[in-house]
Amino acid sequence: MSSMRFAITMLSFVGIASIIGTILKQKQPYESYIIKFGQFWFDIFRHLDLFNVYQAIWFLIILVFLITSTSLCVMRNSPSILRDYQKFQDKIREKSLRSFKHCYEISLPSFNKLDLISLLEKNNFKVREKKNTSNDLLIVAKKGSFQKLGYIFTHLAIIIISAGGLLDGNLKLKTQELLGLKEIQLLDLPLSEIPSKNRLESNNFSYRANVLLAEGEKQDVGVIPSKDGYLIQELPFSVGLKDFNIEHYSSGQPKSFESDLILTSKLTGKIKQQKISVNKPFTFEGVTIYQSDFQDGGTKLNILITDLQSNDKSQPMKAEIFKTNNLIYMDQSFSFEFDDFRLFNILDIDSSQKKNSKNVGPNFTYKIRNESGQANEYQTYQLPMKLDGRYFFVSGMRATPQEDFKFLKMPADAERDLDGFLIFKNLLLDKEVIERAINQVILSSTSSKDVNVNNLKLSTSKLFKTFQQGGYNQIALTIDKNIPNQEQESAASAYIKIIHLVANQVLLDYKKNNTLTDVFELKDLSLFTQDALNAYSDSFFYGAPLFLELKDFEHVQASGLQLTKSPGKFWVYLGSMLLVIGIFCMIYVQEVRLWILKKKNSKNILLTLTTNRHHLTFDKYANDIKNKINSLSKKG
Amino acid sequence: MKDQVSLYNKIFISGLIILASYALIQFHNYMDGYEVAILISSVFAFSWLGFSWSNFKSYFTAIFLLAFLSIFLYQGNLLIVEEVFLLKYFLSSQSAIMWMSALYPLSLIIYWFHLFNSQDFSGRLASSLVWIATTLGTSGLLIRWYESYLINIDVGHIPISNLYEVFVLFCIITALIYLYYEERIGTKKLGAFILIIINIAVGFLLWYSFAKGAHEIQPLVPALQSYWMKIHVPANFIGYGAFAIAAMVSMAYLIVDKGWLTKYLPEKDVLDDMTYRTIAIGFIFFTIATILGAVWAAEAWGGYWSWDPKETWALIVWLNYAAWLHLRLIKGLRGNLLAWWSIVGLFITAFCFLGVNLFLSGLHSYGEL
Repeated sequence: MSSMRFAITMLSFVGIASIIGTILKQKQPYESYIIKFGQFWFDIFRHLDLFNVYQAIWFLIILVFLITSTSLCVMRNSPSILRDYQKFQDKIREKSLRSFKHCYEISLPSFNKLDLISLLEKNNFKVREKKNTSNDLLIVAKKGSFQKLGYIFTHLAIIIISAGGLLDGNLKLKTQELLGLKEIQLLDLPLSEIPSKNRLESNNFSYRANVLLAEGEKQDVGVIPSKDGYLIQELPFSVGLKDFNIEHYSSGQPKSFESDLILTSKLTGKIKQQKISVNKPFTFEGVTIYQSDFQDGGTKLNILITDLQSNDKSQPMKAEIFKTNNLIYMDQSFSFEFDDFRLFNILDIDSSQKKNSKNVGPNFTYKIRNESGQANEYQTYQLPMKLDGRYFFVSGMRATPQEDFKFLKMPADAERDLDGFLIFKNLLLDKEVIERAINQVILSSTSSKDVNVNNLKLSTSKLFKTFQQGGYNQIALTIDKNIPNQEQESAASAYIKIIHLVANQVLLDYKKNNTLTDVFELKDLSLFTQDALNAYSDSFFYGAPLFLELKDFEHVQASGLQLTKSPGKFWVYLGSMLLVIGIFCMIYVQEVRLWILKKKNSKNILLTLTTNRHHLTFDKYANDIKNKINSLSKKG
Repeated sequence: MKDQVSLYNKIFISGLIILASYALIQFHNYMDGYEVAILISSVFAFSWLGFSWSNFKSYFTAIFLLAFLSIFLYQGNLLIVEEVFLLKYFLSSQSAIMWMSALYPLSLIIYWFHLFNSQDFSGRLASSLVWIATTLGTSGLLIRWYESYLINIDVGHIPISNLYEVFVLFCIITALIYLYYEERIGTKKLGAFILIIINIAVGFLLWYSFAKGAHEIQPLVPALQSYWMKIHVPANFIGYGAFAIAAMVSMAYLIVDKGWLTKYLPEKDVLDDMTYRTIAIGFIFFTIATILGAVWAAEAWGGYWSWDPKETWALIVWLNYAAWLHLRLIKGLRGNLLAWWSIVGLFITAFCFLGVNLFLSGLHSYGEL
């Protein structure tokens, strides 16, 4: 098990498992995996713990094997390395010295031992001398022994880092789960009903828990998401959020967010006020508190509900994010579930190529659920957005979370308000108004003598009725049914033209009779008519015809905190430092051993250099040393 | 000669100290303790680089002169760029980077010419062009840094925060590492290979800039507002650059091994040694960068290791080169296998650098396409 092959195999496993973990998005809600892979594969993946690779038992076991294997390797090799580190190899024979590649015989008539030794020491060698039995002098020198220690440093570092990591991993929790002491809670229960089996005590030595606090709220537990459920982590103190602040860049992107916290120790009652922000955490009683994100904390909304397909008066409604409102309308009961509110929305709405993200103002997200339990999700923007040069009120709808939102775009009036469109919608649904407008349009476009006038009126109001009932789509269906194929296209364009003419006439009449309002003082009224007709027609694809207009709101924010206790961090950092030092030793320290043999009766000396790593530069280095020694003889 | 060098060194170091002192006196209110430390240690780092590598001094002096000239021309007004000829066509960050993008391809061509005709002149010309391109690219980044403050004081940040900026960084760091080794091993033949990878990056940069408008300066998200970015990112890119060079040299090695171009390319031993050296330097910096990343993550995200896709791939890259070095240093392995391995290593590195941003999402999603 201490073999390098074993270690490399284990490392490859870690590598492959890690790759799987990056490709398969981890820690997602289980439903999204079922949708993506189907029940069959979902079950297989779940049993293999592939949704949570890095916390999987088998992954931890591999890590433990790796540590053991590396430890054994270090234990086996260290003694000899340490021995080597201290040892001068002075029991070497002339024959083996001559067998090395860098072995030189130098004639040195004026041999001065001290000069030679000081030369070597100047070149960072450690020097020993030894006389053998025949009184030959052997100078043994070496440098760069740290290279060998590099081996110990790096491998020890790996062990320390892994051990630190395991300390911060969830081995303890895993064991407790296996023993049945703790288990994951799958249901969304109120805090007070969560049993102690789902709770981790505050003396738990390592955890990463989340706390979500609305402004003014206080809590003394955190939530640890785990697989498809969660655990509750008791904290040694309570955290209160006094205030939450976001700053934005002028373009609307968040620039900074910070929380004003009040921390109260459970043990000592000590109170600490502290501001934290991203990149500026704070440690209290051994637990480090990080600003991780923010979300809505139950913003209060004032809403006006309008039926887009009837003349009924709009109704006000007070709502709150994360709450549900019920409404009975036209004998049906609807529930409105308010999910989110966002003050800033950076959108890239210009269709041109260049990046042009800007803030389009607040939106809110909600679901409308009908009696049978089916729901559509809506996302509605409070302020009109500029699209194709005109302003529209925009609201998206989708039936399932997998779809993209389909947007209903209602044109803004001259005062950038929705009123114009709502007036238009009411007029459109007013039988009398429409009849009047039809009369006017037909009068102005045909001569009064025309016998067909009445027929024309009749068919036009029938056409209009069809439009009222189902928009352009309904008209398309009628055309499909009643008109021969080859004439369908021309009929359609004629119908659209007539509807537009009549609708425009309706608005012109309204303007004439209501001189006090400016809402239709538009540059291009006919374009407004067209947009408004489109919007009305699209409202038939909007799920329920109820549009929620956000009038005003009281913004309440919540701060997402992360609370971490990580005793392994120190060891990981220590190991990391050792690792860098070790790598440096291994790569940049060149170990050199050098022998000089001076036979008693010889004028020559034998110089031998070896290194355990033959880099190209060593030839040059050996040559340099030789020359330096050579030049000693000249000096002498 | 020696006196001249030491005089140059003295001037260079005094210049660095004067600049740093000026920055300290003028802007210390805007810096935290760590940033002061980074500034001071950068004086040491650049002095050391200048000391041990003569051409670096000229390069460094040139980028600062160009950057200061640009700042002088801007007069604190970003809109002036359309009116001042020198800014519009040369010294606005975008123009300087475009010049860089034009000169790297040119030097690639000349390096290939030099590979076959071996004239001294063509080699020197190619190297000079790389030097000029790198100088302009670096000045471009420095000017961009200044421009970001001109947009708004709170938008200002060091330009290594998105994919566009780090691609420029990649080009110049890879070029610098190569230029250093070009001097060390005394042959300009390898430029023909190294410049390929630099030009691939340039190609991506141009596409990214023209098709996606990526050169626009964007403000920093809160998580990136940290002094750590100034250390973590450059250290990572020294790693990436060195690994890229190693792969290209390995390619040359395999070509020589096949018996091709042997007349023109350096010997196998030289190539092998250079592969080792670049991987070694890359490995050290990559290790340091990953560790610093972990320390930063502990501060920003609440945990030193979150198995975020970028972290995980960094680990895979690290394991890959650790294995490479093991085989080379402990087992004493040489030759084809290691050469192939270092080429495969580049693909792994490229996936870590780019693929993670393209295909996977996670905490590191700062440079999306």
